[in-house]
Amino acid sequence: MTRADDRPASLSLQSVSKHFGPVRAVDGIDLAIGQDEFFSLLGPSGSGKTTMLRIIAGLERPTTGRVLVRGQDVTTMPPYRRRIGMVFQNFLLFPHKTVAENIVFPLRMQNVARAERDERLLWAMKLLRLDGLAERYPNELSGGQQQRVSLARGLISRPALLLLDEPLANLDRELRAEMEVEIRRYQKELNIPFVYVTHNQEEALTMSDRIAVMRNGVFEQIGPRNDVYRKPATAFVAAFVGQSNQLTARAEMVGPDSLTLTWRGHRLHLPHPGGIKAGDDVRFFIKYEDIEVTPERTAPGNHVGGHLRDIIFKGQTANYIVSLADGSEIIASASSRDQKVTIGEAVSVTWPASAGMCFKT
Amino acid sequence: MTRIPPLLLLAGPGVLFILVTLLLPLLAIFMFSFWRTESYELYPDWNLDNYRVLFTEAAYRTFLLRSLIGALVTSLLCLLYAWPVAYFIARHGGRYRLLLVLLLAAPFFTGVILRIAALQGIFGPGGLINMALGIFGLPPIAALMYTPLAATIGHVYLFVPFMVTAIYLSLVNFNFDLLETAKINGAGPWRAFIEVTWPLNWIGTAIGLALVFIPCLASAVTPRFLGGPSATSFGMSLGQQFGETGTWALGSAMGVVLFAFSLLVLAVMGFTVNLKRSGFTGMGAR
Amino acid sequence: MTSVGDRAEGWRRLAMSVLLGLLYVFLYAPILFVIYASFSEDIVWPFPPSFTTDAYAELFDNSLYSDALKNSLIIGLGSGILSTLFATAGVIGVLRFPSRRRALILIAFLAPLFVAELLIGISSLAFNARLLGLPGNLFSAIAANAVEGTAFAFLIVLAQLVRYDWQMDDAAMVFGASPLRCFWEVTLPAIWPSLFGAFLISFILAFNNLEISFYNLGAIPTLPSVAWGSLRFGLGPELFALAALTNGLVFAVFALMYVLMRTGIVKFGYRGV
Ligand SMILES: Nc1ncnc2c1ncn2[C@@H]1O[C@H](COP(=O)(O)OP(=O)(O)OP(=O)(O)O)[C@@H](O)[C@H]1O
Ligand SMILES: [Mg+2]
Repeated sequence: MTRADDRPASLSLQSVSKHFGPVRAVDGIDLAIGQDEFFSLLGPSGSGKTTMLRIIAGLERPTTGRVLVRGQDVTTMPPYRRRIGMVFQNFLLFPHKTVAENIVFPLRMQNVARAERDERLLWAMKLLRLDGLAERYPNELSGGQQQRVSLARGLISRPALLLLDEPLANLDRELRAEMEVEIRRYQKELNIPFVYVTHNQEEALTMSDRIAVMRNGVFEQIGPRNDVYRKPATAFVAAFVGQSNQLTARAEMVGPDSLTLTWRGHRLHLPHPGGIKAGDDVRFFIKYEDIEVTPERTAPGNHVGGHLRDIIFKGQTANYIVSLADGSEIIASASSRDQKVTIGEAVSVTWPASAGMCFKT
Repeated sequence: MTRIPPLLLLAGPGVLFILVTLLLPLLAIFMFSFWRTESYELYPDWNLDNYRVLFTEAAYRTFLLRSLIGALVTSLLCLLYAWPVAYFIARHGGRYRLLLVLLLAAPFFTGVILRIAALQGIFGPGGLINMALGIFGLPPIAALMYTPLAATIGHVYLFVPFMVTAIYLSLVNFNFDLLETAKINGAGPWRAFIEVTWPLNWIGTAIGLALVFIPCLASAVTPRFLGGPSATSFGMSLGQQFGETGTWALGSAMGVVLFAFSLLVLAVMGFTVNLKRSGFTGMGAR
Repeated sequence: MTSVGDRAEGWRRLAMSVLLGLLYVFLYAPILFVIYASFSEDIVWPFPPSFTTDAYAELFDNSLYSDALKNSLIIGLGSGILSTLFATAGVIGVLRFPSRRRALILIAFLAPLFVAELLIGISSLAFNARLLGLPGNLFSAIAANAVEGTAFAFLIVLAQLVRYDWQMDDAAMVFGASPLRCFWEVTLPAIWPSLFGAFLISFILAFNNLEISFYNLGAIPTLPSVAWGSLRFGLGPELFALAALTNGLVFAVFALMYVLMRTGIVKFGYRGV
């Protein structure tokens, strides 16, 4: 846990739901976020992330449940009294105000003195590389520039809580990487909680203290980023976070912390998550990076043989696609620099018995 | 304290105002239409005589039919003329769009009567056109004077700006980029118009049609001055019941008939409008 | 390079602009005629021309016309303001706060468009005179005109505001703007041209309304009712003079607008270069 349990949570949601007619956009969410926490919401499109942010901001009244900020119930408090900042998924810049006017808007609403306003404006413009654009109107900016203005408007207000809805989606890779670092540093500096929505898992893994994986309005898993990546709680999380081979088989022998199964004639060993009996059908996931493809079997652990069908160049890494005798495929990822195998060759696929996650189907 | 829902707070006053100043009077004439007038006084003995008179006396049927045909022809003419004009303003008006539309409204600063008198002055017997013809030794164009054609010209003159404005208001909300999509996918300009532009602007067009058809059906002043001796319209006759003849009950019944036709127009409109297919998405947005 | 499609497009565009031009000629020919006639000695047979400014002298001598103008202005302003307020609040309510009653509210606001002016006039006359026993007065004329004005204003404001992104207001509120501040800072700057348009249209409709005002005013003169009344003796040239002056003012305002738009000082809601 990243927060001390004796302090009251900075933000907490208590069984919050939001229904749009038959759609349960958010369905009974409980959540507590600490004062210094960078919290990310990760989930596929339509999973209810934006709706949850809007509830926290007060733009949407939850169908049921309560929202508390620093112990105070704000469920019925209008958004303009909550002192929350938000960076919107679709920017929502005011088209009749210049970049500078857009950015200082929150400060004007807080009646911040002019001198300080100008100072903070300069700081924000610099942080987000917006120099020279102060007098432009939003419709004279590129998509990425608009997004940065929107981000600047959110960051400048120094709110009690900042909500960010995919704030980096339109930036180029370099700028995005830079911003990821800046945003996280700024969060630690301000010491306020950030709730960060993204469907880019790398972003979530880089920046967050804790991550919640959301699907159909509920949390599939919530926990420190390592757990979400290494110890997925459900098959959905295992499939959604990281890149994995998804396989199905039947469990044969079940030990206290390991389990044996036969998959297409290969006897495999996997860690046992608990709750699986011999004879159960299981889905299991092996992350690409856990698999090694070599000309000959080198390591102990699980082993299958096949031939290398293709190498997909990804830049730093490459995906090695191996066809097995029965036509199924297994993918491994490794450095693209020193390839030890060539396409068409017979190869050995191995991975340690400690890698992989199993789930009952 | 119970909170007043914001919708009620915002829309309530307007709705209440319209109920009081429009609906109540309409209900009043609906009631009067079943009363009786005698020497300028209304008496509440309930009967259907007014309607019987309206439906049996040939004169009223003629007035109504004349007004209906006139209104239909005018609406159609306005529709045909207004579309390209509105399209041009919306599409190519650029920064002067608002000015171009306001120019359509500005003639309304001059009263109807003066403008009709001016139309007479241009088209009439001693008017500009016939005088010019006379100078060249040509006979005057009789069709322009005191005929149904003259009344129709007058109506188009008075009401075409409404039609243009209605279509324009619809077109400014129309995303012209959609036409690019249609064209990339192989639709020619006319095909694109039929498939995309027209259906997405049908509501605005229908409102424009109503804005022309309804006042035209009730028109009294224009036919009186431009239409000639045998042009008595339903509206003229209706006005007389409340003026010269003072037969308020019969007039009320005529008003009810007029209103029934408005409802008919509304019903036809409602029938042809499929909100889901109108592209009217704004109404659902948060 | 111009393709065949471009050239056809160019022709269509030219044809449409010609139609627009002809429409303006058609609409303004009678207006020009009114101005011309106001300087003529004989307005019934104004050709061949013979000029005089008598009409203007008489216009300023006769208090009937200044009364009529004053009443017309009162009705126009009163109805214009009422209409714009009702309509704007109504449109915002309908667009911003979806509800199952929305369709009904929409119908209520647009209903007056389906009731002819003549019918509005006679029905409120019948209601006021026979049921309430009220004589003709300015207030009922303003109210009856504002019914029609509200519907038109509603249509105009609605057409502009359906495009408006209300999440913009959400953004303002999250950053601490109260609803009123939000309206003032964010909504109003975006929508004022349509409010202005709505006011202008409802003003004009009421200012020169004959059929609604006539039945609601009794003996109180307005510009159109004076025109109507003087028909029996032939239209007074003073009315032509007054209309000419009004149009002069309107043209001046348009010219000013044109200059402002041309130079880009005020864009009247137009976004772009
Ligand atoms: N106003 C609304 N009316 C009806 N349904 C809605 C509304 N807003 C959201 N929904 C539905 O609620 C669900 C969650 O939507 P939400 O916008 O929260 O998704 P999201 O996780 O932010 O997705 P994305 O990553 O695409 O932005 C979706 O199924 C959406 O269709
Ligand atoms: Mg979203």
